[in-house]
Amino acid sequence: MSNFINLNIFENYQKYIDNEQEIREKIRVVVREIEHLAKEATIQLQIIHSDLTKIDHACMQARKQISLCAESYKNLAEIIPVGQYYRYSDHWTFITQRLVFLSAMVVYLEAGFLVTRETVAEMLGLKTNHADGFHLDIEDYLMGILQMASELSRFATNSVTMGDYDRPLNISRFMADLNSGYRLLNLKNDGLRKRFDALKYDVKKIEEVVYDISIRGLRNGSNPEALVAAVQADASNEENK
Amino acid sequence: MPNHSGFRQNRKPQKPKEKPTIDENNPVLKAFKSYAAELDDKHDRYERIVKLSRDITIESKRIIFSLHSIDSRKGNKEKVLEEAQQRLEKLIENNFKAVAKELKDQDPYHYRGAYSPGLQEFIEAYTFMEYMKYADEAQANGNNVEKSVSDWIDLQKQMHYTDLQQSEENEKVDNEENGQKGYSFFVDPTEYILGVSDLTGELMRRCINSLGSGETDTCLSTCKVLQQFYTGYISLNVHRCRELSRKIYTMRQSVLKSENVCYNVKVRGGEAAKWGSVFDNKPGDDIDEGFY
Repeated sequence: MSNFINLNIFENYQKYIDNEQEIREKIRVVVREIEHLAKEATIQLQIIHSDLTKIDHACMQARKQISLCAESYKNLAEIIPVGQYYRYSDHWTFITQRLVFLSAMVVYLEAGFLVTRETVAEMLGLKTNHADGFHLDIEDYLMGILQMASELSRFATNSVTMGDYDRPLNISRFMADLNSGYRLLNLKNDGLRKRFDALKYDVKKIEEVVYDISIRGLRNGSNPEALVAAVQADASNEENK
Repeated sequence: MPNHSGFRQNRKPQKPKEKPTIDENNPVLKAFKSYAAELDDKHDRYERIVKLSRDITIESKRIIFSLHSIDSRKGNKEKVLEEAQQRLEKLIENNFKAVAKELKDQDPYHYRGAYSPGLQEFIEAYTFMEYMKYADEAQANGNNVEKSVSDWIDLQKQMHYTDLQQSEENEKVDNEENGQKGYSFFVDPTEYILGVSDLTGELMRRCINSLGSGETDTCLSTCKVLQQFYTGYISLNVHRCRELSRKIYTMRQSVLKSENVCYNVKVRGGEAAKWGSVFDNKPGDDIDEGFY
């Protein structure tokens, strides 16, 4: 009877699970490293909410941190056996989203456009395609971009406080694009969907800021007539959306 | 009065619902279109696998049900076993192949949530079939069992075997280079362990059933097997897997239940225990997972 249940099965499974545990521990060490670097970058970027002149410097610093992360990702990729990305991916999804957010933020502050997934992957030293190796998951990318939207709505209010009245308009336009982009996706009822549902609040907040500026004629270097025209143009833009 | 003022008249001629016009040149929208395609592909694949897995689950449950009908008095053992084995092989040959095909060149862990219920149920059915085949027989003859329950490596081999056949067919059709590749359904050891832990529920059920039909020997032997499984499971030292610890808890209840049956058999004899076991069950003890 005892032959039917081969206790070796349990022994083998124990070995298997111990092995997995070991890999997880290694992953955790590297992920902690990345978390540390990302935190540094986050702190650097906080300056944008209080000093507009230091944006360029902050971006440079953040870029440096991000490129350091790329090296850690290389180490991480070496730990993960081929084809087992999603077995362990829960360890790094959160931090990867954070880094996507940071990279997107930097690129937006520097150049004013939305960073593509390919570019983020390149910045982090990752692949875009799962078949090519350790890659940037598309859902992580999309989540990271949504985080950026929240940050931008905060940035819009703060840039008004600091007297930059043009920036919210730019941000508003950018967010409108982003919003319509996300509407193209058929989202399942999952975490990404939930996070996307919060995007409208960020959009709303920015639109309120734009409204406040427009109604008071607070735009930099604009005379009242041009302002009226601009507001009308904005209004018709809104309608079209 | 030609000019009604009813609100129906007020209705503006309905504009054909315009799709949000997408500016082709907008780089953001262009990028998101490709993201949308990628996400859709993922979701579709996931849904297809869920469907396949559901079919596997249903068929596996039916096989388990039919295995429960084995009764020494009816002498239907060979027939039922053979049929069950054929049906299981069919599952390997058709359904798992389809899943394996979907997962070709994919990370199986990514779609684990989609196929794991089916796989676990299948493992339960398969090992139950093996139990009926080997252990029951040996108990009847008083021999030791020669064959032991398949482990995940054996199952993995089976799943590869079917797929090798597939690739042989490919070889004839395609170029010889591609033919060699062959793909297999990946049997995750964790899924295997979880599937086998469901087996203990079936063993408990068999223990109770055989009490009803007066085969007290079967009660004792299933109880022994259960105890051994339980020993094996509590020997595992697994962190992180909440599902497993829940199953081990359930397993403990199954073990206690069947031990109680054996106890009743011993002190009251087979006939009386049938009644006793009904009252001995505490209301919270029922951990029937149901057939459907």
